[in-house]
Amino acid sequence: MRKVLTGNVAVAYGAMLSDVQIVAAYPITPQTTIIEELANMQADGRADFDYIRVESEHSAMAACIGASMGGARAFTATCGQGLFLMHEMLHYATGARTPVVLANVNRAAAAPWSIWSDQTDSVSQRETGWIQLYCEGNQEVLDTTIMAFKIAESLRLPAMVVLDAFFLSHTSEPIDIPDKEKVRGFLPPFDPGELWLNPDNPKTFGGITMNTDYMEFRWQIQRDMEKAKDVITSVHQEFASVFGRNYYQVEGYKIDDADVVMAVSGTAASTGRDAIDSLREKGGKVGMVKLKTLRPFPREEIIETLKGKKKVAVIDRNFSPGATGIWAQEIRSALYELPEHERPLIYGYIAGLGGRDISVKTIEEVYQKTLRDDRPDDVDMWIGVNYV
Amino acid sequence: MKYTEKQVNVPLCATSTTSGLVNKTGTWKFAEPHFVDRISPCNQQCPAGEDITGYMYLAGQGKFEEAWRLIMEENPFPAVMGRVCFHTCEEQCNRKDHDEAVSIHTVECFIGDYALSHGLKTTVTQPEKDKKVAIVGAGPGGMSTAYHLKRMGYIVTIFDSNQSPGGIMRYGIPSYRLPNTILDGEISRLYDIGIAFKMGVRVGTDITWDSLESQFDAVFIAIGVYEETNLGIESINTKGIFNALEFLHEINLDKNPKIGKKIVVIGGGNSAMDCARSSRRLGAEVTIVYRRTEAEMPAHGEEIKMAREEGVQFLFLATPKTISGNEHITGIKLEKMALGDVDDSGRRRPLPTGETFDIDCDGMIIAIGEATHVADLPPFIPQKRGVVSTDQMGHTDHSKIFAGGDIIDIPHTVTHAIGSGKRAAIAIDRFLGKNKGDEQSLDQYRWGEKGNISAGRIQGTTQFLRRNPTSEVIDYTGINAFYFDHRPRMKNNRIAVEERLKGFQEVIESPSQEEAVSEAQRCFNCGSCTECGNCYIFCPDNAIKVDPDGYGYIVDMDYCKGCGICVNECPRGAMKMEFME
Repeated sequence: MRKVLTGNVAVAYGAMLSDVQIVAAYPITPQTTIIEELANMQADGRADFDYIRVESEHSAMAACIGASMGGARAFTATCGQGLFLMHEMLHYATGARTPVVLANVNRAAAAPWSIWSDQTDSVSQRETGWIQLYCEGNQEVLDTTIMAFKIAESLRLPAMVVLDAFFLSHTSEPIDIPDKEKVRGFLPPFDPGELWLNPDNPKTFGGITMNTDYMEFRWQIQRDMEKAKDVITSVHQEFASVFGRNYYQVEGYKIDDADVVMAVSGTAASTGRDAIDSLREKGGKVGMVKLKTLRPFPREEIIETLKGKKKVAVIDRNFSPGATGIWAQEIRSALYELPEHERPLIYGYIAGLGGRDISVKTIEEVYQKTLRDDRPDDVDMWIGVNYV
Repeated sequence: MKYTEKQVNVPLCATSTTSGLVNKTGTWKFAEPHFVDRISPCNQQCPAGEDITGYMYLAGQGKFEEAWRLIMEENPFPAVMGRVCFHTCEEQCNRKDHDEAVSIHTVECFIGDYALSHGLKTTVTQPEKDKKVAIVGAGPGGMSTAYHLKRMGYIVTIFDSNQSPGGIMRYGIPSYRLPNTILDGEISRLYDIGIAFKMGVRVGTDITWDSLESQFDAVFIAIGVYEETNLGIESINTKGIFNALEFLHEINLDKNPKIGKKIVVIGGGNSAMDCARSSRRLGAEVTIVYRRTEAEMPAHGEEIKMAREEGVQFLFLATPKTISGNEHITGIKLEKMALGDVDDSGRRRPLPTGETFDIDCDGMIIAIGEATHVADLPPFIPQKRGVVSTDQMGHTDHSKIFAGGDIIDIPHTVTHAIGSGKRAAIAIDRFLGKNKGDEQSLDQYRWGEKGNISAGRIQGTTQFLRRNPTSEVIDYTGINAFYFDHRPRMKNNRIAVEERLKGFQEVIESPSQEEAVSEAQRCFNCGSCTECGNCYIFCPDNAIKVDPDGYGYIVDMDYCKGCGICVNECPRGAMKMEFME
């Protein structure tokens, strides 16, 4: 069935088709229409879950963790300040090994107040142990929400579906809505195994743990994050075989003969495809990689994809004050192990903060500068800033 | 070995089967939450000492019989009370600071009517005793004492000179406020539990006080007072002049007194309203003459309002000087008054101006109700200006004799009389039993420091558990108002004025069950645990537990960290924090 849906409604469809059992959420622009749509679905019987109204995002995540510990499939959604408030509980969800799925609508950090798109909220949660899956379009948003449950539950790690504010959350696109029974075949009910609060076999989880054991618990998180790279790929492949749509952690576009490769994530990737086409028509040897997973970071795939390229221009819609854009950091770090002759120069660009457009023109400007400069002229380069 | 194939000797998440209960987090605290039962201002205010918060809670849950039984612990006349009590409880209601006071009397009226229409019976709660008590006066005070004593197992006989019991409730209150069927229904329960009524017997005339004293182990006197009709003016013996209580008595005997077509009622109290409104129902034009202004009138505001609706005229700042007419009254010369300084009653004093004017009338009812005296008292019980002196519990200086109602120093209302009767019953029980003279121990059963004593608390039969009862009265600041929405007070429906003036049909319509439940649910239940579960739900340490032995919750101090969230989230102030040593 095809429908014209906003990204937020696509998220709601994804959660509903996944037979989510608990939704605990707190409204915040631009996320609100996700939980409104879910509430509608629950009210009119399209979905059968318990909706827990909470007083904050911190409580929303706490409730999801509790639900997940109780053996239920739990979902929440938030953005920006809400995600910041959740931070403590994000760590807890990982440590408790609760496969909660969270949709985060990328929203810029205050102050000053801004409700527009910016990845700083989700990239700030890099170290919480959440799988992070960035989406390019509304179809990918819906499909990734379903896949996120499967990935999270098979690894017992929480997963975050990330979509740009307004560019996706409030923009409508024609979407193919998967058949519910087909989704059920793809995504079986959550099986918590032994790790749940079973009243017939009472246990306490996550109690005080001495230094004799703590490292072993953390090591397992790291081990399973490494496993996640394979799991995500196989879930992508299984999804493609059932639903006919392909997704990749690192997706190349016209890169085989490219000297310059643009690295982008989120909606910038779809703009990027147009920009690459346009530059190619003018004879540029340019391609693009679309980055979907920030965590686990697909180090090996990045190395394999970018090995031997001359220049890589990374466009970050985020930055780490005092360092650089996060995607640039990650890519630079991954490629360092290549021998010098195969190692591309990394040009880091910051663009599109607080919802400013990353247009075809922006990407062309980045390309021209990368092509022109023999070396990056700064630690990162800010595009479109009105200097005086 | 590949990284992802390595294993460690721990599960995915730290797991314990011994439970976290080994960690007694309660040792961290420096303050403890406790459940307390605070006193609602309405309970403290009720002259009859009813557990209003308790029966509001029960009625709000549709438990009308339980609610009725809770009232009956304190007061045998809920249906009468719901109609005639001027519900000063509502003036104290904490909800008035939120939106509007709860219409307590309406709920009480519904509960009383429910019991009547369902034929609910009261019971004797204690084994029969061999002690006999005589009650003189079958009014609210006497019947209240008789009821409580009978429930305690005493042999009780009531003497009254009237043909029917009820006293002021039957003979002083017009039936448009209190229909006889309601009164008869509630009094019949007193017959049912075995109280002996000796009607038409005037003690002091038909039977001597001495014989009463010698035949009974205790005597309770509640014979009421007579209002003086001496206005201090001439021609008071002219025909067509009535005393208010006599007038109301005759109406209640269906004697339909010939009062004339144009009536003046002198006075500004509730009995003036009763006389004026009754006269309207007998077809007369009525003017109330009052020497101060409306603001100083002691009558209840609703009574004044309904009198006005029914066409009663008001003439303020006037007082009668002389009566015109030789054999029968034809008019009154009135003196204009002015307001002076505030007097002892807190109202501005009326001052004569010397200016007079005349009004025509063919009947006058004197309802000034100021000076009173008690007739027929035994010679050994002295009275001073209509007041018999007793201790707080109604015990006179004469060892066997107790007194209550209007003849002791309390406000002259039915509810106060009922409350005094209950106190006297408790005192007589102690006098005849083992707790003689131990009055201070009764304070623990009092509603607040100023309230009446609760018989239910003494008996331990309150259905609404009161744990760690205190005498602390809770005000609006003790309520967590966030838990209560704003909802207007229920309005009583009154029958149309034309219907009212056709006779003595009850004016206020009884509330429906839905209305009564809804209104009862407006009650904050100040200071009392209603098992709402907030403390239980909010406790971050699961240290609040459902009491396995009964009602409410307990705090497991082994795990309570003393955060105080439970106390903060209690909607109705039934918990408190205490700092530890």
